[in-house]
Amino acid sequence: MQLSIRSLLPTYFEQSRTADSEIWGKDLVFSPGQLVKIVAPSGTGKSSLINFLYGMRNDYNGQIQYDGQELRALSLEKLALLRQSAISVVFQDLRLFPEQTVRQNLEIKRQLQPYHPAEKIEEMAARLGIASRLDTLAGRCSYGEQQRTAIIRALLQPFNLLLLDEPFSHLDNKNTSKAIELILEEAASRKACVLLADLERIDIYPFTQLYHL
Amino acid sequence: MAASFKPIRPLLQTGTNAASRWFSYIGLGIGVLLLLSAVQMYINLQQLLHTSPVRKNGFDYLSITRQVTNENMGQKDKLFFSAAEIDDLKKQPFITDAAPLEANQFQVELSAGNLLPFSTNLFLESIDDAFLDTLPAGFTWQEGQTRIPIIVSSDFLEIFNVFGPSYGLPQVSAETASGIPVVITCHGDGNLEQDFQGQIVAFSDRINSVLVPQSFLQWANLHFKGKQAERASRVYIKTSDANNPDLLRYLDLHAYKVNKDKTKFGRVKQVFEGIFSGLAVFGILVVVLALLLFSFYLQLVIARSRDSLRLLLTLGYSPRWLSSHVSRRFIPVYFFIIIAALAAVQVMQWAFHTQVMYNRPELQTMVHVAVIALAMVLVLLSAWANFRLVDRLIKKETGHRS
Repeated sequence: MQLSIRSLLPTYFEQSRTADSEIWGKDLVFSPGQLVKIVAPSGTGKSSLINFLYGMRNDYNGQIQYDGQELRALSLEKLALLRQSAISVVFQDLRLFPEQTVRQNLEIKRQLQPYHPAEKIEEMAARLGIASRLDTLAGRCSYGEQQRTAIIRALLQPFNLLLLDEPFSHLDNKNTSKAIELILEEAASRKACVLLADLERIDIYPFTQLYHL
Repeated sequence: MAASFKPIRPLLQTGTNAASRWFSYIGLGIGVLLLLSAVQMYINLQQLLHTSPVRKNGFDYLSITRQVTNENMGQKDKLFFSAAEIDDLKKQPFITDAAPLEANQFQVELSAGNLLPFSTNLFLESIDDAFLDTLPAGFTWQEGQTRIPIIVSSDFLEIFNVFGPSYGLPQVSAETASGIPVVITCHGDGNLEQDFQGQIVAFSDRINSVLVPQSFLQWANLHFKGKQAERASRVYIKTSDANNPDLLRYLDLHAYKVNKDKTKFGRVKQVFEGIFSGLAVFGILVVVLALLLFSFYLQLVIARSRDSLRLLLTLGYSPRWLSSHVSRRFIPVYFFIIIAALAAVQVMQWAFHTQVMYNRPELQTMVHVAVIALAMVLVLLSAWANFRLVDRLIKKETGHRS
């Protein structure tokens, strides 16, 4: 699946913002297998971009197309199908069900399109060091544990594009490395494009394209 | 999407506002009970009153006349039926046929000749043969024939046998009466007078008159008075159901007078139909109110579960899948309530048939199939209304794109 953006700019940004940005107002194509890094200091619209690409918000000018299909024109049902089987995301604000256990949070996602068997949850949780927290309510977990839960949740479905919005902000370097390793493995097995938007500080992500927002 | 709803269920705040939910369940039960029982009683009424006691070949024959009042007395236009009015009667969907009773325009006298010292002025009428309940082969007349076949109302024989003995006359059986030759004397304009031999060939339970063949009356009216009967004061109508409320409404509207005995069930039916229709409307109203109350409950559930529903849509759950599964949760409750109401109607029908109507053969102990079908339609309708509501609420509460 190919993602292309054309002259994309939030409606609340002035046209002058396109001058300094390598994303806003530009025509770009992201293809399978690419590892894209978007360096986005605070206030440059990083979360807005992820929300636009995931079809959460429409307050932008320009176009976002998946395989030539305009994202904004998709019906709610088609958008749901896209989110189940083609685009996965880790939000900056994580978005877990706080009253559900970690395992339940993961299972709710996995059962939609079971790309992995249920046992894979245990394996991934063990790799990221949260196996012992699987039966704890998500709301009672630390931010770091919740972030790792959100990462595993994003990797349980089939996808061609993985959107990551500051996915390691609550992780130390060791856990970040483990998470990146798992993400890259899963993306490679699907030949997917990974689009990571973060502040400057992550150097261990082996990007193939670098953009400044 | 083969996902299970089980892990989703705890995310919905269905425990909220339980009182409103229970009130709506109870309301739905009462409404459906009212509606189904009204329909069942309406059907019972149709079955009980569709057939009237005096019926032959599946039709009722009613004699209708104009109501004679102090205001219209003597006004022929207002007391006789015009040809247009008879045509209008024939056009009504609930009237199969209509025929006027034509009367003699000349003076008629009847005597028993030398056999009995009995003589009286008489009237003769004729009607289309199709309206006669008994039509003997000999009920015909041709010009030149001196014998006139007569059909007399069986009520007349009964009356004769009541008053006859007081006048020293013997009581006679139908067979004997048929054998008595009577003399019919017709008086015309001037001194025109002619005797005919009358013979009773049949007794009619339907038509309260002295009937002669139409061919005789038409000839005699012309011969003795020089004109045909212009208008009829009585018209017979043939209908498949004398108790049809539409027929009664039509007769009332035109102020036609009809034999009350034959239509009294129809009057009762009209009243009961009104009552049961009212009850059914009330039942529908209660059902609608109950569903409305339930919709408030659902709105609250969905508003309180808004964050969870939004997140589910964000994760990729389809709005339609969520709507159908959320609304499907309540189908078993609806099904149970409506089936319980149907069971209650069945018990009522059993009690009505066996205890109140003493197993009348027109009725059934089982509820009518239409009532069962209506109950099923209500289940489907409730489920559909629920799905539409939940679908709309989920889309509204979660926003178009989140």
